[in-house]
Parts: sequence; structure tokens; C-alpha cells
Amino acid sequence: MVNNSNNGITLNREIKSEKEFSLKKFFFQWEWLLFLIFIAIHIINSQLSPYYLNTYTLLDATMTFLDKAFIALSMTFVIIFGDIDISVGSTIALASVIMAVLYNAGLPMPLAILVCLLVGVIAGFINGILIVKFKELSAVIVTLSTMILYRGIAYIILENQASGGFPMWFNFLGWGYIKTIIPFILVAFIIAAVIFYVLLHKTTFGRKVYAIGNNDVASLFSGVKVDKIKIIVFTLNGLMAAIAALFLTSKMGSTRPNIASGYELDVIAMVVLGGVSTSGGKGRMIGVLLSIFIIGFLRYGLGLVNVPDQVILIVIGILLIFSVMLSNLKLFSNKS
Amino acid sequence: MSKYILELKNITKTFPGVKALDNVNFQLKSGEIHALMGENGAGKSTFIKVITGVHQPDQGEIFLKGKKVNIKDPNDSKKLGIAAIYQHATSYPHLSVTENIFMGHEKIDIKTKRILWEDMHQSAEKFLKELGAEFDPKRRMSTLSVAQQQIVEIAKAISTNAEIIIMDEPTASLTKTESEDLYRITEKLQEIGTSIIFISHRFEDMYRLAGRVTVFRDSKYIGTWGVNEVSNQDLIKAMVGREITQMFPSKNAEISEEIFRVEKLSRKGYFKDISFTLHSGEILAITGLVGAGRTELCQSLFGIERYDSGKLYFEGNEVEIKEVQAAMKLGIGYLPEDRQEQGLILDWELDKNISLTSLDKISQYSFIDRKKEKSMAKRLAELVNVKARSIFNLAKELSGGNQQKIVVAKLLTSDLKVIILDEPTKGVDVGAKSAIFKIMADLAAQGYAIIMVSSEMPEVLGMGDRILVMRNGEITKEMAVEEASQEKILAAAMQEKI
Amino acid sequence: MSEKSSKNKISLERIQQIREFSLIGFIIVLSIFVQFRNSNFLTMSNIDDLLTNTAILSILAVGMMMVIITRGIDLSIGATLALSGMVTSMTVSNYPSLHPLVALLIGIFIGLISGAIIGLLVAKFNILPIIATLGMMNVFRGITFLISGGKWVSAYQMSDSFKAISTGSILGINNLILIAIIIYLVFYYFINYTRTGRKIYAVGSSPESAKISGINVDRITWLVYSIMGGLAGLSGVLWVSKFASAQSNTASGYEMNVIAACVIGGVSIAGGEGKVTGLISGVLLYGILENALPMINVSPFWQNAIQGAVILIAVLVSALIKRRIGSSNKIRRED
Repeated sequence: MVNNSNNGITLNREIKSEKEFSLKKFFFQWEWLLFLIFIAIHIINSQLSPYYLNTYTLLDATMTFLDKAFIALSMTFVIIFGDIDISVGSTIALASVIMAVLYNAGLPMPLAILVCLLVGVIAGFINGILIVKFKELSAVIVTLSTMILYRGIAYIILENQASGGFPMWFNFLGWGYIKTIIPFILVAFIIAAVIFYVLLHKTTFGRKVYAIGNNDVASLFSGVKVDKIKIIVFTLNGLMAAIAALFLTSKMGSTRPNIASGYELDVIAMVVLGGVSTSGGKGRMIGVLLSIFIIGFLRYGLGLVNVPDQVILIVIGILLIFSVMLSNLKLFSNKS
Repeated sequence: MSKYILELKNITKTFPGVKALDNVNFQLKSGEIHALMGENGAGKSTFIKVITGVHQPDQGEIFLKGKKVNIKDPNDSKKLGIAAIYQHATSYPHLSVTENIFMGHEKIDIKTKRILWEDMHQSAEKFLKELGAEFDPKRRMSTLSVAQQQIVEIAKAISTNAEIIIMDEPTASLTKTESEDLYRITEKLQEIGTSIIFISHRFEDMYRLAGRVTVFRDSKYIGTWGVNEVSNQDLIKAMVGREITQMFPSKNAEISEEIFRVEKLSRKGYFKDISFTLHSGEILAITGLVGAGRTELCQSLFGIERYDSGKLYFEGNEVEIKEVQAAMKLGIGYLPEDRQEQGLILDWELDKNISLTSLDKISQYSFIDRKKEKSMAKRLAELVNVKARSIFNLAKELSGGNQQKIVVAKLLTSDLKVIILDEPTKGVDVGAKSAIFKIMADLAAQGYAIIMVSSEMPEVLGMGDRILVMRNGEITKEMAVEEASQEKILAAAMQEKI
Repeated sequence: MSEKSSKNKISLERIQQIREFSLIGFIIVLSIFVQFRNSNFLTMSNIDDLLTNTAILSILAVGMMMVIITRGIDLSIGATLALSGMVTSMTVSNYPSLHPLVALLIGIFIGLISGAIIGLLVAKFNILPIIATLGMMNVFRGITFLISGGKWVSAYQMSDSFKAISTGSILGINNLILIAIIIYLVFYYFINYTRTGRKIYAVGSSPESAKISGINVDRITWLVYSIMGGLAGLSGVLWVSKFASAQSNTASGYEMNVIAACVIGGVSIAGGEGKVTGLISGVLLYGILENALPMINVSPFWQNAIQGAVILIAVLVSALIKRRIGSSNKIRRED
């Protein structure tokens, strides 16, 4: 069609549409590094404790950290936007407290669980709508406020008490096994992870999330419903926080308003270590999954040899900083 | 003392993968206005940054008044009396005008080092007055217009007692009258003995101001001429490396039935009572001064900002466009003014950029079919003749003109009937400009109806079939291209509705 | 200075003024309301109490404001505070004769080093502030735990002179309040009347412009985090002296209160904006809420929610005010 000898453009040139395989590009991916760390942690752990390397231990270990990992799945979407949601810990508390109080007030447990999920959805939706309607405020500030607010409401409801006494079957969420050795939470998490992986990498929704994270103005001009997608993602994040609340409450057996405090930081650390850039637009689900298990097993392994939790915090903090430092070296192609 | 106030010899600067300046020479006479021209990517911006010390050259020497100097950072160049006004305003939007002028060289009490605010406000006001500007120096920078901000930048240069001032495309986003003001200021600077390097894409800037002109092409120095001894054609040839005999393609589109009609469309504070019709095969040029409400009108037609009142008819049926998706569904496409910010995702590959507007076409039940996506991208990229090796090139790796072609390709993914092009050639170099015009003419010939917003007079006259002139949010004149002239358009753009 | 600003344009000062006045107005209304419910509120002793309790928050807020102006954020200050408090209190318990001034210096020094490390990570290694400070928060908390072995330093282990840092007074004014006032005077001058102080705004308003005009952006960034650390270190000593106990979870989560006070005080998270005068009203409002709610018999369990709601409202209202000004101040210009 364009064929004008006047301006020196002569023939339409062929534009390649097949990717050339580059060995260097293939290996210089963030996920490989995470994979190496993952292996290293297992080697170190097995050196530290002779009981570590067996299937039961490893499978059981996942029960200790997978509750918050559910939020990491949806938080990945939030951080790909270049946003952040620090209200998730408080959302857990609010959803869990309301569920416990309603159950103890006589609501059947299945309904209480439904309310728990609903609270998460509403909490996330409020975040989303505020962030979308007040674009001049950052997500940090909005979720900072709701973080204090949501936990505050949990305190109003339950004051400084604990509430529990759930039916036996509810324990299954946190403590149950499938085929006697596979923890139920692991199965649930794998299902959730697959869903989120497909959503992010294979669907138009995921593509639009990346687009918004890279350039929200250009996305809007390209017909992406930026506001709607943002609200959906924040609502989803609230829902995942509520799901985490279910597992966590089941594991603890009871709840308090101060439950899951500081969770937001753990979740963000999981996502960022997984190679999702907080400046938005970049990162993959595989990396996040690897990093969830790295942090989880690291914690568990050090816990086995009685390293106090605070020391593990140091390790995680340093790991986080080093990983970002390394990824800043631009060695790694970290594309969607 | 040397004849030249500033002389650069054999400057080479490489960035990873790119040679930005290749053995470049340049000489600036004391007290002259020297135009520097060249296509985008010719190395002009890097050249300035070498002079101002933002970048250090790999090779070559810089002489100031005949003495060799070593400019290690922007502070060095400031001390040497060099100031630059960059293409993208380098201001501090949250701070006051005074602070913008004096940042880094605030007036301070010699003993206590305390900043003397009153002194600064007073001299800022003095500088602004000298430049013919009448705004309060205490005002926040972000409340100024682009032209006013530029004046602040010039005041900043004066406040450092700069002997050499470099202006990088200062007229690019100015209106005609604002440009005139800038010309006057520049000449005033020359009168007081300042030497000026003036970078611009516009020939009128060069003719109006400069005594000499230097051309760069492909990171190389091409030559320097006296403005009076060189023709337009020669300069274009020097810049492009080939002759462009015909800028505007011949149009052979058939203008047929009405496709889009706008009646009394208004959005408070932006535009009022806009009415026009658009036919298939037609190119409707909307012009006027920057700020006349053209972009806002286009964005309302595309559903980005809602209009308050008025009616829209598409193919005879009344329609409402409240969001982008509604406009796209009707078959309206929009090429935004700022392709880097609004049109493209620079960090993305071309294929993903192209498919973003039409994801539903390459997906089933929301699952993306990569194969379909790649073949669509390849087809369209070749259609608009993008100079790229593969569809996996990143958008940011392309030149401005080729980026613009990708944005056009994005539009072509959907079944459009109306295409709105907002300043399609802004910041695009000469060669790519004519390629874009060719694409436009081809689209019109295929029956697309095109709305083109442009501030460039030749392009409005060269491409438009009909011309709408806007002023202050209203249409002041509608005319067929045959009866239009630069004078008529300008009159309508600047005067009250008659 | 001639008053030339055209009437329909609202200047930089006006925007700040409207926000500050509405904030001060709210503080006054709140105070009157509380006073009505409990006449002990506006007594000298309660005001003294209120200010003493707000002093540490206000000191931290100054540092946080500068960090936020440069588009950063510091989540590690609670941990820095705990670390500095723990180290000084352990030193004091081992050397009871230590002069309190030396204890203060030790605290500031530890804070400075912590802040400098963070500054280095942010400025030199380009790690996003939220990540760098999140990571270092973990590290500092862990170190605090390690050196204390998880034990507390309690009141009886601290010398009287050390505890007197926060309980003593000069001319009837509590030392904490005095220190806070001195800090505010120093930083008011620093931010408004020194070149370095103004560069903080330049870096936050437009880092690219700052770089091009020769401002050493890295140095300024490093500086604000170091100052923040120093102030957090100082606050650590004051905190431990005031509460006469040092624990490894001291001031856990306190960074959120500080950030909230900044935001209420009109510091823009997007950077480039924030004034000491606004900050004072933000800190005061926060302090009054903490002090007044128990006085009008609001259950302590309500306080969190009320604080959250107030922050949210303050943030939303200030955004709405800005919008109104923005639209009435619209200028003809295509962006």
C-alpha cells in the first residue's frame, strides 16, 4: 500500500514474526536465580537438620506459610499496576473477627464463612473505588488509611478478646490432609496458583493489567477500561485476604483483632522477591511462586533449628534487598 | 582572542550500542544567533548535553573564547556562562517562579548563607519585566502556560549571567503569537551580546532569527551555511540525505456520503456549540492556536472526556459516546497527540502494542491466541511500512516517525470508519512526515473519514479537504481548502467570531 | 513586594493556606467539642501532657516530611528507633554514670548510621524506598533482638539522670517539648533558608530537572534518609527514657502514625510538596486525637478506627480542595 519512490521508501520490507532463541536470554532470567536460591535453601536446610529432607516434613512445612501466599497471588496484580495494598493484614483481621463473632452469635458456620469472604470483597472494593476516584492519592496512602481503619473496626467489634470455638470440620482448612499426607491448604493453593497464573499470562485481563502497569494513559486511549480493571484487582485482593483469613483462623483455632498484623509486609516481600517490580509493569507469576516457597522453606528450616523468628527477619530483609539490587543490574530480562 | 566564543572540535560520544555524536564540529560566533537543524535522532540533544556537561564526550575538545575547557558537570558549564533551555521544560512544578529561576544559585547572605527571599522575588520580577512578562514571581510554576514557563527558563538563563544560551526547540509547543514574543526576546538577548544556539524544526524560526545555520544528520556534522545563501531545498536535502520533491501526496479519494455529524457539542470550559459533518473519504482539518480546545474536542468525540450537551449522529443514527469503548464500537479511532505517553507502551514489543486496541479479535473466551496476535501484528506493521527488524522489537527502540506508524497500525486493527489524528506529525522528522501523509491519503482513498488536528499551516492546507478553524473553544470559520489561505486561517484563529 | 497576582489565579501560598486553615479550623472545633465534654482538656497540665506525648511523633514527622518530599518513604523508623533505644539503654544500664548527653549522642549516631545505610541503598543502588526500608526494617528489628537476647531493659536498670532526659524540664517546660521546638526551629530554617534545604524540594519536584541543572540528586537523597535516621535515633533515646523500658518490639508500626501525621499535615506523597507549618498542624491533630479520645470516654478500642477514619477523611478532603482550586485555576493550555 505504501509505495512511494518519491520519499525514498521503496519496498515494504519483511518484518520477522518468529522469535529467535537466545541461550543467554533464556538463562539470564530472574526465575533461574530464584530457582538456584530455592535449591540452595534446601541444601542448607538439610545440612542444618537431619529431619528436613523427607516428603512428610516438606509437605507439612507448606502448612506453615501458605495462608499468606494466597494474598501474594493477587498482590502480584496490584504491584504490576505499580500500586501497593498494605491493608491486607487488616482485612484478614476484620474478615476473621466478623466471621467468628457472627458464628458465636448463632449464624451457621457456612454462612459465616460466606460473610467472611464478603467482608474481604467489600474491603477490597472500597480500596479500589477510592484509588480510582481519587487518582491524586496514591494507593499507599489510601490503603494506609484503610489499614488503620479496618483493624480499628475489628477492635471495636471484639475489643481485646479472642473468639473461636469453631466446629471441628472448620479445622480441616488449616490442618486437614488429602490422601493422608498432602495438606489440604497445599492443594487449595496449587489450584489458586494455576488460576492466577492463567489469568495473568494467558488472558486479555492479564494483558490489560500489564498494560495499565506500564502506561495507564496509553491503556485508556487504547480502550482498556482502566478504572474497572483496577477496581476488580483490588476487590480480588480483598477476596484473597479473606480466603487467607479462613485458613489462618482455622490454623489458629480462634481469632483476635491483632491477628495477621504485619502480614502485608510479608506478602509484599514475597511478591517483590519474585521479581515483580514495584515501579509497575513487570514480573511473572512463576517468580512469585518460587519466592513464596523460598521464603516459606527458609523460615521453616531455620525454625527447625530454633533460630528465632527475629533473626529470620534479618535474613529475609537482606534477601529482599539483595534481590532487588541484583535485578537492578539489568542483567536479567524480566519481561512478561 | 578567538573569533569564536564557543568551538567544538571532533566531538564523539557513544552510548551503549549507539554512536550519538560522530566527530562533530561546531563554531559559534560571539553575539550571533546560530540555528542548529537536523532530523530527530540526528544528535542535536546529545550535542547540547555535551556542551552543558550533562554528558562527557568520549573524544574531542571544547574551546571557550579560544581557551580549552573541560566541562565535567552542569555546574561547570554554569560557571563558564553557558545556559540551556531544554526541549522538555526542566522546571520544578511545585515551586514558585522565583525559585525556579534561582534554584542552585539562590541569593544568599554572604556571612550567614541565609537565603534572601525578598531580594530574589524582586530580581525575579525585574527579569520577568525585562522579558515583557507580567506574572507574579510568587506563582507556582505549574499554573503557568508553556510559553510562560519558557520565559521563566530564559529568565533563569539570564540570572546566571550566561553569555551563551542554547534553546532546544523552544517554539515546538508555542502558538504563533507566543513564538513572536519569543523571537523578540531572543533578539533582545542578542542585542545585549548573548550568543545563542537555536534548535528548531521550523524553517520560519531560522529565517526569522538566525544568521547562520548548521545541519547534523545521523550523528554527523553536515555543514554550516549563512541563512541567506542556502535554500530550503538544500537544507532539507542536507537534513534528510535525499531530496523530497513532494511533501504532500496527491489525493485521489472520493468524498461520498455523510458518516458522522456533530451538532452543538459543548463541554463547559473547553468547547462550545461545535457542529460539523464528516464524509467518508474526506480529510477534515481542524486547526487553531494551541489551547483553542481542539484536543479536548477530539477526546470528547473519542469518549475519553464526557461532553455536557449536544448530539452526535453516526451513519444517520443518533449515538452517545460516553466512554472509549463506545467510540471504538462505532468505528471511531483516535491517534493521540503524545504518542509516547498516550499512544504506546514503550517497554512493550511491537506485536503487543499493536494488538492492545483489539484484544478481543485475537482471543477466544478471553484467552489470547498468540499465533493470531503475531500474524496480525506482522501484517499491520508491514502495511504501514515500519522500519523494524521484527515484531519483537521494543517500541522505544524505534524512531519517532516509526513509533507514529505503530500507533497508526494500532488503529487499523479495528474496523474503523472515522479516524481522528491529533497532531500526527508533531516532533516527527521530515522524512517520516511525508510517509505519514502518504498513509493518510491512502486511508482516505480507502473510504476512511479522517479528522486531522494540526497547528502546521502547510499541512492543513496540503492535506485537508475542508478546514475548521477553532478559537477559544468555538469554531470561527469553516472553509473548503480551495478557498483557504494562510492569512484567512490565521485571521479566523486569532479574531473574534464575525 | 507588590501585590500583583491576578485575582482569578490562586497562588501557591493560597493552596497551602486554605488547607492549613481548614485543618486549624478542624483542630479548634475538635478542641471546643472535647472541652465541652471534659473541662480538664484545656488545662495547662493536660496541654503539657499532650505536647509531651506528641513530641516524639513530631520529631520523627520532620524527618519523614523531608523523605516524602523527595518522593520517598521510610518504613524502617520504628525499627531504627527501637535499635537506638535498645543500644543506649543497654549502655546506660552497664555504665550508670554515663552523662545523658552522651546517651543522646550514641542514639543519634546509631540512627545516623542506620539512615545512611538506607540512603545508600536508595541513592546509589536505586532500590525503591519502600522496598529498601521494608528490608532494613526487618534487619534492624532482628539486630535489636539479637543484641538484647530478647530481653527487656527495664526502669530499674536505667539511671535517674537518663530517665530525667524526658521527665526533666527547663523553665517549667518539659525537655521533650523543648527538644521538639529546637528541632522544628532548626529544620524550619534549614528547609526554607538554606540552599541544601531547597534542593530537597527541587529533587522531589522534578528529579530530572534537578539532575540536569547540576544538583547532586544522590547526595540529597542520601542526606534526607540520614537525617531521618538521626532523628529516629534521637527519638529512640527519648522514647526509652520516657517509657523507662526498651524492648525489641518498641514502636513497632509507629512509622504508620508518623506517615499519617505527615499526610494530614499536607505533605504530598507524590513528592515536592510539604511545609513545616502544615506539618505542625498535622502532628497536633494527631496528638489531640490520641489525647482527647480517652478524655471523652471513648473506649480505647475505638481509637484505631477513629484515627483511620480521620486520616482517610483528611486525605480525601485535601484532595477535593485541591481539585476545586485546580479547576477554578484552569489555564488555557493543552497538556
